[in-house]
Amino acid sequence: MSSRLGGLFRNTGFAIILLIVLLAVNLVLNAARFHPAAWGALIGLAAPLIGAAVASAPVILAGRGGIDISVGPLMGFVNAMVIQVLFLKLGMSSPFLLVPAALLIGGAVGAVNGFLATVVRIQPIVATLGTYLVLTGVTLTILPAPIGPAPGWLKAMAGTWSALPLIALFAAWWIVRRLPYYDQLMAIGSDDRAAYTAGIDVTKVRFIAYVMTGVFAAVAGLMLTALIGSADPNIGQAYTLIAIAAVALGGVSLAGGRGGLAGAAIGAIDIFLLQSVLTSFNVSTYVLQIAYGAILVAAVILTAVQERSARPEEI
Amino acid sequence: MPDRSTLPAPLLHARDIALRHDAQPFSQTIRPGEIVGLAGLDGHGQERFLEVVAGLKKPAQGTICLAGPDAEIRIGDFRKAVANGIAYLPRDRRATGIFPTQSVLDNFAISTVGRDSRFGLISAASRLQRYQTYRDRLSISAPRPDAAITTLSGGNQQKVLLARALALEPRLLLLNDPTRGVDVATRHVLYDVFRGLAAEGMALVVLSSEIEEILLLCHRVLVFRDHALTAEMTGAAINTDSVISAMFGRAA
Repeated sequence: MSSRLGGLFRNTGFAIILLIVLLAVNLVLNAARFHPAAWGALIGLAAPLIGAAVASAPVILAGRGGIDISVGPLMGFVNAMVIQVLFLKLGMSSPFLLVPAALLIGGAVGAVNGFLATVVRIQPIVATLGTYLVLTGVTLTILPAPIGPAPGWLKAMAGTWSALPLIALFAAWWIVRRLPYYDQLMAIGSDDRAAYTAGIDVTKVRFIAYVMTGVFAAVAGLMLTALIGSADPNIGQAYTLIAIAAVALGGVSLAGGRGGLAGAAIGAIDIFLLQSVLTSFNVSTYVLQIAYGAILVAAVILTAVQERSARPEEI
Repeated sequence: MPDRSTLPAPLLHARDIALRHDAQPFSQTIRPGEIVGLAGLDGHGQERFLEVVAGLKKPAQGTICLAGPDAEIRIGDFRKAVANGIAYLPRDRRATGIFPTQSVLDNFAISTVGRDSRFGLISAASRLQRYQTYRDRLSISAPRPDAAITTLSGGNQQKVLLARALALEPRLLLLNDPTRGVDVATRHVLYDVFRGLAAEGMALVVLSSEIEEILLLCHRVLVFRDHALTAEMTGAAINTDSVISAMFGRAA
């Protein structure tokens, strides 16, 4: 176990230190907001970003420029579909209908991305930019203006039960990590020619990573829906870039094969805590953007420096 | 090699293989328990032939068939070759062999990840146990199986890759210059392992850029020139002069 924690630290070293520092600062500055009694709402507030970061990770781990920039719009699309189409128009309100439907939508969009990126072999950033634009447009078509409300059980997922979807997400990943599939995913991310000569079906493994990203993004979309308690066509897109920043901050190599979902989540929590500190100083959102950028670049540099000093013999 | 009549049934048939459109086609059979060497000046087709047998490259003409339980299995692509008992050890360890970001254990297990699963989930204990079997057999010197593979010496990295291939329990093992960049002591360990595998009935095809290696190891040698098979030697007929003459296209 200690070596597992050691491994997590090696990959995410800077992000964890930042997390501890920011948490301490927050505890001092915002004692009321970080009081255990408020944790439900606090976690609910952080959840969509954590979900978006975790969702972005599988395709990045799969390597060869794997990236899915449609994660944000997909969250917005799931938000709009669940509230506007399924809940308000078709009258579905049961979690046992809405959750599987949302996951199915996510998986289907992920499969389209996977097909374009692995079978048609369009560069992932271009393929998912296409999906990004299409989803943004479709979302605005089915939902031209914000509308509400969300079912009661879903809103509770951003309050009392806010930890539940996150636990479900990590439980799913915990199982994936114990499947033969996980080893193959990390192998193709590490070196896809070597993976091919080791007998791995590279295309299939990478395709599944896109589907997984889609499903996780749907969970993030549900968490977003829970948080805003309504549907808003313009809220999803913003998550894409900040999620990628969180992934990089959390020590996941954008070249693939290194890092994990825990790192991505830690990176997302860092960004959330930073946001919380800066807003308590009443700085403008413009300054917030500058701070994200600076922290991200600093984190990536520090991670690289740390890696280089840890393995001097590697070329 | 024993007398032809007592030989086991052929494992692999290469029929009318032409490595290039303008090259002379040839046929070959490989039997269980044989160590077949491939020699030739660099780029004269021996590596292409090995890759064709592995299903990694398509020949200009001809077929590769593997003996199956009922009918012959035609090898058309690499994954089919692996599924039917062919293992391939690539030449360029750094570019197409190891996963530098992964541990020794993960590098070993990647081709056979499915074999460690219990009820679909991976059992770490079973994986470690399988690794230890091969670690002992190949005398891999790796203090920690969970350390990155890049912490090992070149020879030990090569042994881990060989362990990966052997874990597939292949019937035919294809070795593309297996001792390139490996120290002398490790080479002799590998030679002993190869002989042991052949004695157990595995067929081995070894491409080597060193003639001494072929002399030490192989029962039979195929010499390539201009993308054609120009000479075949067996047993005592294999010596430095005959192999070199064939490589340069002169009669021995």
